[in-house]
Amino acid sequence: MTISRRALLAAGAGTGLLTACGSNTGRGSGGSEPELSQWYHQYGETGTEQAVQRYARAYRKARVEVQWRPGNYDQQTAAALLTDSGPDVFEGGPTLDQIQGGQVADLTHLLDGVQDDFNPAVLQPKTYDGKVWGIPQVIDTQFLYYRKSLLADAGVRPPTTLDALVDAARQLTGKKTKGLFLGNDGGAGVLGGTPLYAAGLEIITQDGEVGFDDPAAARTLGKLHRLYADKSLLLGAPADWSDPSAFLQGLTAMQWSGLWALPQVRKELGDDFGVLPFPKDGAHGRPAVPVGAYGAAVSARSERRADAEDFVKWLWVERTDYQEDFALSYGFHIPARISLARKAGKLTSGAAADAVRFTTDHGHTAQPLLWTPASQTAYQDALSRIIKDGASPENELRSVVRKVTAELDRVKKNSQKNTKKKP
Amino acid sequence: MRRGRGSDALWFWVFVGPFAAGLALFTYVPLLWSVGLSFFDAHNTVTPTHFVGLDNYTAMLRDDAFLSSLRTFLVFTAFIVPVTYVCSLALALMVNRVGRARAFFRSVFFLPAACSYVVAAMVWKMSLFNGVRFGLANTVLGWFGAEPVAWLSTTDPPWYWLVIVTVRLWLQAGFYMILFLAGLQRIDPVLYEAAAVDGARPGWTVLRHITLPQLRATSVAVLLLLVVNAFQAFDEFYNLLSDARGYPPYARPPLVYLYYTALGQGQNLGLGSAGAVILALVVALVTVGQARWLRLGRTDADG
Amino acid sequence: MDDALVRAGRALRLVLLVALALLFLIPFYLLVRNGLATEQDITSPDWTFVPRELRWGNVRELFADPSVPFARSLLNSALIAVATTLGTLLLASLAGYGLARIPYRHATKVFYGVLGTLLVPAAVTFVPSFVLVSSLGWISTLRGLIVPTLFSAFACFVFRQYFLGFPRELEDAARVDGLGHWRTYWLVVVPNARPVFAAVGTIVFLGAWNSFLWPLVIGQDRNAWTVQVALSSFTTSQVIRLHELFVAAAVSILPLLLVFLCFQRWIVAGVERSGID
Repeated sequence: MTISRRALLAAGAGTGLLTACGSNTGRGSGGSEPELSQWYHQYGETGTEQAVQRYARAYRKARVEVQWRPGNYDQQTAAALLTDSGPDVFEGGPTLDQIQGGQVADLTHLLDGVQDDFNPAVLQPKTYDGKVWGIPQVIDTQFLYYRKSLLADAGVRPPTTLDALVDAARQLTGKKTKGLFLGNDGGAGVLGGTPLYAAGLEIITQDGEVGFDDPAAARTLGKLHRLYADKSLLLGAPADWSDPSAFLQGLTAMQWSGLWALPQVRKELGDDFGVLPFPKDGAHGRPAVPVGAYGAAVSARSERRADAEDFVKWLWVERTDYQEDFALSYGFHIPARISLARKAGKLTSGAAADAVRFTTDHGHTAQPLLWTPASQTAYQDALSRIIKDGASPENELRSVVRKVTAELDRVKKNSQKNTKKKP
Repeated sequence: MRRGRGSDALWFWVFVGPFAAGLALFTYVPLLWSVGLSFFDAHNTVTPTHFVGLDNYTAMLRDDAFLSSLRTFLVFTAFIVPVTYVCSLALALMVNRVGRARAFFRSVFFLPAACSYVVAAMVWKMSLFNGVRFGLANTVLGWFGAEPVAWLSTTDPPWYWLVIVTVRLWLQAGFYMILFLAGLQRIDPVLYEAAAVDGARPGWTVLRHITLPQLRATSVAVLLLLVVNAFQAFDEFYNLLSDARGYPPYARPPLVYLYYTALGQGQNLGLGSAGAVILALVVALVTVGQARWLRLGRTDADG
Repeated sequence: MDDALVRAGRALRLVLLVALALLFLIPFYLLVRNGLATEQDITSPDWTFVPRELRWGNVRELFADPSVPFARSLLNSALIAVATTLGTLLLASLAGYGLARIPYRHATKVFYGVLGTLLVPAAVTFVPSFVLVSSLGWISTLRGLIVPTLFSAFACFVFRQYFLGFPRELEDAARVDGLGHWRTYWLVVVPNARPVFAAVGTIVFLGAWNSFLWPLVIGQDRNAWTVQVALSSFTTSQVIRLHELFVAAAVSILPLLLVFLCFQRWIVAGVERSGID
């Protein structure tokens, strides 16, 4: 019954224990080197895990223990950041609430002198209040993969407008093959704000206001329902949009997926495929390529915060060779460093070169910092209802705009509070 | 006896104490903590400082998504409780009258109870009700020339209910069948003999007038367990319908919604806790109400 | 005439039972079929009941996969399930006996306190529980995975109900022999209550083996993964290896099916006599 005694003691101490000064977690005792724990979400591309283990082993100033987290990574880190047993270094947004809640460390000083070398498209969403809270690891982008031979057989040209995409998907749908795969949920999850950008709008404007309170938004999103209603969408595939399996198995003629899938697609299909940005819609439309990135962040609760920051600086700022290896040797990602991206030989030919060009010309931030999870959920729910239930886009968007406005007010209020608190 | 009251109290705590202490620490402390959080603005923290009174409660009660999750729960319960009840009772009645192969059938129907929701949901999602043509259900449809159905992605008609309900049915029917079998064993054979003498034909009449009334105690227990379990439903919904980007707005029961509110990246622990308290109150009300109602019925029948 | 009708009814029932039994076995069949097939076979549009190529190598591949410590996770699950079962049986049976048999003024209140927790869904208290366990320093430890789950109100409830119906004569005889509560419990009550221990034990064992959310969050270190967490790691956000997923699932339920088939008689007996209803 030693358990219950210890348990009772803990209960007696009550909430006191739960504040930051709680008991030692017992990790990292013994040895003179500090021990750091670093979390990654589980990458699907083979070799990635071995690679990050290798980088960690090469670090001399601390022993770094890599944890490879399967399952719902974002939920797990969010919960772990509430405790002292969470990671020291982790890949994550970080989210605005994590920044405002003081859960992650300010990393601005790690970028001294090299800040300009980081692509602003991914650095900007890690920046808040003029400070950098996460070091972008790579640039993740998504494209429309299409099978050239299948399009040629059906006499369909690669679509450059949303209307053409809808028509193409319908024409390419046959008995055994569907026209388009936007994920098993019909696209609500992965597309996010991309169609809005394709309509010439934004999800959040530069001034931090709702960017899609516009009739064009409803018109564009309504067209996504046509894809579903025409039965042109592949639904219920075993692997979701992020995995090229459905495309490679011939279940679909076109698929929305990440650039990371490109090496695998090329290996299986050779030259019989191409990539496109999300096609434009309407008079003010423009093609859209969502750009995002996990950033390496340091937990503010880390007992070895300085060591953790040193390690992040070493891996994600100084060791450009590892950054290049990480971005290009497994799945394809565009390096977050402009200098590395320019050198990346693997991205200079074929579809990969197209992808880089589209990203440069049409890239937009997939997840602006102000686009909080609550806003995203509201929008995603509405988009799902528009696509699948044929719900009225106008009505759905009206309620989304209301919720997002409330959410923006909340985080702006927090930011004022934070500024006031600071000396 | 020789021992006084005081010594009994001491022994009571020797027996119950360790359990009660553990329950207090690992259930009551988190519970009270949750209740506490529900009165605070607790974004990304469990030790909040900004008291907001009942704001979280009013926000939750005005949240369409939460209210629709409660409706989802009602639909789910309305499906799963009667279906499981009827199926497990029917299985028990059939298995009970089998002679030599009885143990075999009992094992087969009971075996799924050993599977986890993770495994079952995986088989259902990836193989049985896979949305593409190599799913078993779609293969069978294909033999009759029908188009493949995207079982979990189609909202009209809402085929996903078929998937969700059959997973739970498969996992649970055998367990409740065992409960019913036990109840059937306890029925005095004399009752059936008497009925036969009275000329009651075996079948519906006997079932209605002897078997079902005699099973009333078991039925009450089964129904209570079914409703409580339906309230706690999380695993199969989560494993069937969630993806890396979240969860669709349909078939989203309260626990899943609260899980995303409180534990998702939004980490609104205050709002999530308020929803949890509301949910716990609803569960308590329904369960107590149901227990009352069923017990009343029982005394009526008994006499 | 009547006889023929009865016989026809019996045959019909048997046919129906066999059909239902086959239906109930389909998921097990799919686990084995897909687990022993190649990826191409699983995703082939032309259905085959037996994979074109039976690949027993999938099992070896599963245990050799460096990114998922599957053998270790099986061991962890076994340790956790056994420890949870033994601990729960001890704590809950003592508490159930105390609540049912030791006269105490506040016994009813304590009982309602226990019963009330059955109504609160675990997910409701999930975050505070997690923070509590973490502040004890129990993240990624076996005790963090085991201890918080030992206090099952359900098990306590079942034991109490069972002991309420336990024949008083046995205890009275023990008392006449001069045994106190403690020795009565161990020498008289426990040996005569085996079915309920077996029934509750099996249910707890299954629950511990199959539990997912708690081990996922507490078992952060790869060495503390349970088999369910390992399983879920095969359905990553980016790549799904179908054959490995299915063979892992099949292997993960094997130990359980064995336990289950061995103890089935006991569970049924326990349910029949324990007054779960």
